[in-house]
Amino acid sequence: MTKSSSRGFQSALLFLVIGLVAGTLIGVILHTLTTGKFEVAYLMDLPSWMLGLLVGIAAFFYGLIGYTGLVRGLVWQVVGTLAGALLVSGIRFLLGLPPFDLNTFGFTEPAWVTGAITGTLAFLAGVGALTDWYMSALGHPLSDEHEHQHGWQRYFGVSLDHKVIGIQYTVTSLLMLSIGGSFALIFRTELSQSGLQVLSLQLYNSLMSLHGMVMIVSLLLGIAGVINYLVPMMIGAKDMAFPRLNAFSYWIAIPAAVLLLSSLALGGFDTGWTGYPPLSVRAPLGMSMFFVGVWVAGWSSILGALNLIVTMLRLRADGMIAFKMPIFVWAATATSIISLTATQMIGLAFQLVLFQRLLGMPFFDVAKGGNPILFQHLFWFYSHPVVYVFVLPGLGVISELLPVFVRKPLFGYKWVAMSSLGIALVGFLVWAHHMFSSGMNEYLRVPFMYSTLLVAVPTGVKFFSWVATLWQGKLTRELPTPMLFVLGGIVVFLLGGLTGPPNATVSTDLHLTDTYFIVGHFHDTMFGGYVFPFFAALYYWFPKATGKRLNEKLGKLHFWLMTPSFLVMTLFMMRVGLLGMRRRIADYDPALSFDPWHLAMTISAFLIAISICIFFYNVYISSKKGESATGNIWKSRSPEWQVPSPMPVHNFDQEIKIVGEPYDYGLAGSVYVQIKSEE
Amino acid sequence: MAHQKHSGSLIQGIVIFVILAFLTFIEFFIAITNQSLLLLSLVALVKASLVMYYYMHIYKLVESDHETDHHSFAWKLTTNRLGFWLFILSDAFLFAGLLVTRFNLLGMTRPELNQYLGLAVTAVLLISSFFMNRAETQMGMGNQKGFLISTAITIILGVGFLAGVVGIEWQEAPFAAGDSAASAVFFMMTGMHAFHVLTGVIFLGIVFNNGRRGLYSAEQHWAVEAATVYWHFIDVVWIFFYPALYLIGRLA
Repeated sequence: MTKSSSRGFQSALLFLVIGLVAGTLIGVILHTLTTGKFEVAYLMDLPSWMLGLLVGIAAFFYGLIGYTGLVRGLVWQVVGTLAGALLVSGIRFLLGLPPFDLNTFGFTEPAWVTGAITGTLAFLAGVGALTDWYMSALGHPLSDEHEHQHGWQRYFGVSLDHKVIGIQYTVTSLLMLSIGGSFALIFRTELSQSGLQVLSLQLYNSLMSLHGMVMIVSLLLGIAGVINYLVPMMIGAKDMAFPRLNAFSYWIAIPAAVLLLSSLALGGFDTGWTGYPPLSVRAPLGMSMFFVGVWVAGWSSILGALNLIVTMLRLRADGMIAFKMPIFVWAATATSIISLTATQMIGLAFQLVLFQRLLGMPFFDVAKGGNPILFQHLFWFYSHPVVYVFVLPGLGVISELLPVFVRKPLFGYKWVAMSSLGIALVGFLVWAHHMFSSGMNEYLRVPFMYSTLLVAVPTGVKFFSWVATLWQGKLTRELPTPMLFVLGGIVVFLLGGLTGPPNATVSTDLHLTDTYFIVGHFHDTMFGGYVFPFFAALYYWFPKATGKRLNEKLGKLHFWLMTPSFLVMTLFMMRVGLLGMRRRIADYDPALSFDPWHLAMTISAFLIAISICIFFYNVYISSKKGESATGNIWKSRSPEWQVPSPMPVHNFDQEIKIVGEPYDYGLAGSVYVQIKSEE
Repeated sequence: MAHQKHSGSLIQGIVIFVILAFLTFIEFFIAITNQSLLLLSLVALVKASLVMYYYMHIYKLVESDHETDHHSFAWKLTTNRLGFWLFILSDAFLFAGLLVTRFNLLGMTRPELNQYLGLAVTAVLLISSFFMNRAETQMGMGNQKGFLISTAITIILGVGFLAGVVGIEWQEAPFAAGDSAASAVFFMMTGMHAFHVLTGVIFLGIVFNNGRRGLYSAEQHWAVEAATVYWHFIDVVWIFFYPALYLIGRLA
């Protein structure tokens, strides 16, 4: 790092502090305006802190890179939001409606929603993600060769390189993971004891709801990051099929994240991440910000999936037929099929609620012929398959890494490849298992129960493959960190998988629904299917991105701290759930004697947070003075490891050719990738 | 030779248009006689298939270009086609969701609407599809002037459709958006479709402007093809929305 950039970092920290204070003060002023009186306690307000955090992060980036790229986007977003909101206020004034509303932070709700959308567009224009298309619409030809910038500044502006975009996605995902995790820590602290100590009911509900959706967006960004970074390398391509669309998909996720987080400062909402009407029709303004934020994030998901499918179809290296693709590419394709199509349904569901809130269109008002159950159908048509969007790439990472570390062929390659598609397709037919107790038509229950149980078949195929691959594997005495996370992922996902059928079976689900058992089950599947493999992937491919290896000792500390704490947390969740602890509540009856269990869960949650901090420290210290690793350190057969690390600008300077099977580890004389020599 | 090909495509365009128009009248006839949901769905499916094959040329998706140079126009064209059709597929799920909403909330009833106006806007959109097809075909032959005229007619008809739905139907409707779930569904479906027509008109405007400046040739006119596919997709959506809103079920 040069001297000037480190000075930039120091001034950036200064800006962060100034921004935090300024944002918090703005929050306090807003609060004072809405309530009409000032209290010192407003300074301790979490929503104001949230605003402070947003302003602080923006100021931090300003100190780091100046008024360009991301910072210009954020400034334009604020200006665009104000412009859109003022436009609506003006129209309302002309129509004789009240133009402003002090109960909803100055602007009226339609003004805020319009502002959210114009703000998003302004962000995209400001950051520069629309420039090329705008010029193309004006008739200027687009150039094929995009320049490659160097240095760390390129990560804060529009870059068309899939490796840069992949890292941008991953870092944003980790940032969102930390924010969502902090929310969990705050309300977990509240739950450690019965009675209300730290939070108000409204704030508890907002944090609990946002924890859900912030984590989901974080997961979506995380898989997008891993997929973007890896798939083009794994199929021997130079980039994704549509690099500009790729950059657009990333940058549209940033205003979405801002909108989601802003919902906390704008009144919050109390529906949980599901946003069921009729409650969501009556929730405060934050609900609308949440809906718009998720809708915008959905476009990131849809367009990224589109790009991935075309990349997979069009850019494979010579000789890479379907059944010679790396397993991860299969998983990414299956995931993308879901994201591409089903995402529209949650977008529609949220739009319908938004229109009912803004224009009084009674889609979910039973008195006027509406039907709240319809929302649940539309919502779960996306939101169940989306859990497969999260876990399929994770399971793909497990299948990808296992053979490397046990030095044996992957057992049943074709079956594993098809099982990903199988899970994705069956996933479209199971959504109503979330609605057994919702009052939907009863004849729907049994078919959805059986289709849900059917998911266990392709998932079982994966487990059999993993166990058979491990069988008589040549493991080293000391397991490397990625392998630890792979094995941890398998164990945790097994727990999550086994606790699934009781929820899928109607008779038991009617007792388990809306209890902590569901919370425990869900966190097991997400950690086993996504978080553990995600960390495995980070430890495994970090050298590919940086040329340096993450510290093994810290990595193992991370694993051995996180795994037991996590198991304690979810197993205790399931226990109190079975004993009748409801989910999504801020308080519980001390007579149930859940207090010690909740205290243990809270302590575990903090231990997990510490382990994540160790990971961040590891990334920081290893990228500064980590062990150099420029070669094929895992002895992988995959194409990306056949070239030096960090990956060259155009990935493969010479084209590659696929001549054998991908996972024939330990078989003498078998070749997968051949580098075409220039003749 | 070129002249023969030209008249051949013109005749094909007219034949498909006549069949589509005839099927629309059949739909209307079914609706006023026995109201069979099955028959109406079948006719709509046949119409949609005809548009997707003869107007949107969906078969081009499986045409392989055998091109290995990723900078060549042929390779990019095939790639762009795949991407654009995936976008259409994604968008189709949105409209499918709206149809699900309609049947869930309204069942076998329909809102009280002006039947003549419905038939009129449907005809306008159908005719616009015919001219859109003419525009693309003429660009394929390198007929710049014909392309511009046909595109201009398409844009005018698109604006006419918008005026018919938003300008007349929305004002004339005997209910407001907030009155009942049925009225909300009507405004949501026509509104979402009209929004797509509006974006289609803007897209066509850009293509028209760039075509006027001579940026497209008979061999290289991907933007024209994309605008065409998008416009016909809007038509396919209306092929399902028209019976769903105007023809199926009895009056509420």
